[in-house]
Amino acid sequence: MARDKAQREDYTGPVRRLLLTVIILCLGGIFLFWRIDSPRVEQFRARIVDHVMPSFDWAMVPVTGAINLVRDFQSYSRLVEQNRELRSELRQMQAWKEAALQLEQENARLLDLNNVRLDPRLTYITGVVMADSGSPFRQSVLLNVGARDGLVDGWAAMDGIGLVGRVSGVGQETARVILVTDASSAIPAVIQPSGQTALIAGDNTAAPLVDFLEKTELVRPGDRVVSSGDGGVLPAGLLIGQVAADRGGRLRVRLSADLERLEFLRILRHHGTETVTDPGDVVRPNRPPLPASSANE
Amino acid sequence: MNSVSTSQLWSKRALFVGICVVILFFRVLPLNTLPPLWTGPDLLLALTIAWVQRRPEYVPALLIAAVMLFADFLLQRPPGLFALLTVLVCEQLRTGVAGLRDASFAGEWIAAATAIVGVTLLGRAILAMLLVEQAPLGLTVIQMALTILSYPLVVLASHLVFGVRRPNPGADDMAKGRP
Repeated sequence: MARDKAQREDYTGPVRRLLLTVIILCLGGIFLFWRIDSPRVEQFRARIVDHVMPSFDWAMVPVTGAINLVRDFQSYSRLVEQNRELRSELRQMQAWKEAALQLEQENARLLDLNNVRLDPRLTYITGVVMADSGSPFRQSVLLNVGARDGLVDGWAAMDGIGLVGRVSGVGQETARVILVTDASSAIPAVIQPSGQTALIAGDNTAAPLVDFLEKTELVRPGDRVVSSGDGGVLPAGLLIGQVAADRGGRLRVRLSADLERLEFLRILRHHGTETVTDPGDVVRPNRPPLPASSANE
Repeated sequence: MNSVSTSQLWSKRALFVGICVVILFFRVLPLNTLPPLWTGPDLLLALTIAWVQRRPEYVPALLIAAVMLFADFLLQRPPGLFALLTVLVCEQLRTGVAGLRDASFAGEWIAAATAIVGVTLLGRAILAMLLVEQAPLGLTVIQMALTILSYPLVVLASHLVFGVRRPNPGADDMAKGRP
């Protein structure tokens, strides 16, 4: 008991108080520095994650796999039922596949007729999802590709069908993808077929809001939402999802990408949209430049 | 009987770091990438507070600061803020521990709940003051409530599994102690 007391006395000593003050000042300083110069601290965060996460990887993959296996096992009990459902779905799919093949051929023919050249620079890198944000308030995932693979902040991440998010924070071996459902995500989009532009703003729910819409009456649930490429960060024409109205009557996007279990993500290489900068010259046949001709006369 | 040898002290500190790393590890597993409708408890905070109230010498302020700062960085939280609040609250609890020594578990739980509410509300207030974008209030409240509710379980686990017990496990402590 006496020893115990002595220890407590020891704890409230001046050295300890000094240490505590230093700790508090340091932590407060880090927080304020983050508030003032967020990009630099976020870069530092990406570096930390880049160092820590790959060393966890050996354990994360099997544990995630095992937990998913257990979850899947629960659904095995309905195996017969599921089998029947899958068969009927497969029949439908075969019909669709036939339709898709015909459309593909038609599309190829039309492209050939029109002499269309698709952007050859729009290639992609595929990454594996290593971790998520770990917090219920942030929607992001960590991929196992990074600056080493030439990733750049702002590139779009797709899951093969629809837009999932964009790269924000690149480490040497890892990169963070902010999902479109995150509260800080806003993606300029255009709604087909009305051509209305809007901002797809995540709000931490499964279906992001359609914001800044000029004429709401032109947009109907079921319309396709694709990225517009405004702002030059994401390429234009990436499928995001379909418009749907929620219970409150607000327009939201039902995402085409399946965010429930992300495993592989495609990062589209995008080197910026070229813009027309010069005002345009008068169209005329090739002649020597004007100053020379005026000097001759 | 209750003397704490140096090796035991440091092994318990290492154990604390180990548990925190395991908790963080399970939180970042990509099991569900849909935005959740509800959240689990913040076990890190509950664990830290439980250990501070039970055995303050196992969790010195520097250790709490380091672990929480690491968690802030890893979990995409504003770095430093929650570490700062946790350290402050834990220091507050630490000075109160002497008086709490003979108190019942209910008293300890109330102190812990106050600390958890304090961390959450102060965090939100500071973020609001500095105009930082915040998580929805509903989720935060759910997390706060679940953290408070999970506190007895964390204490029980610390007591039974990790051997974090009050320094003088006398008969009176046992009688008045945990549920």
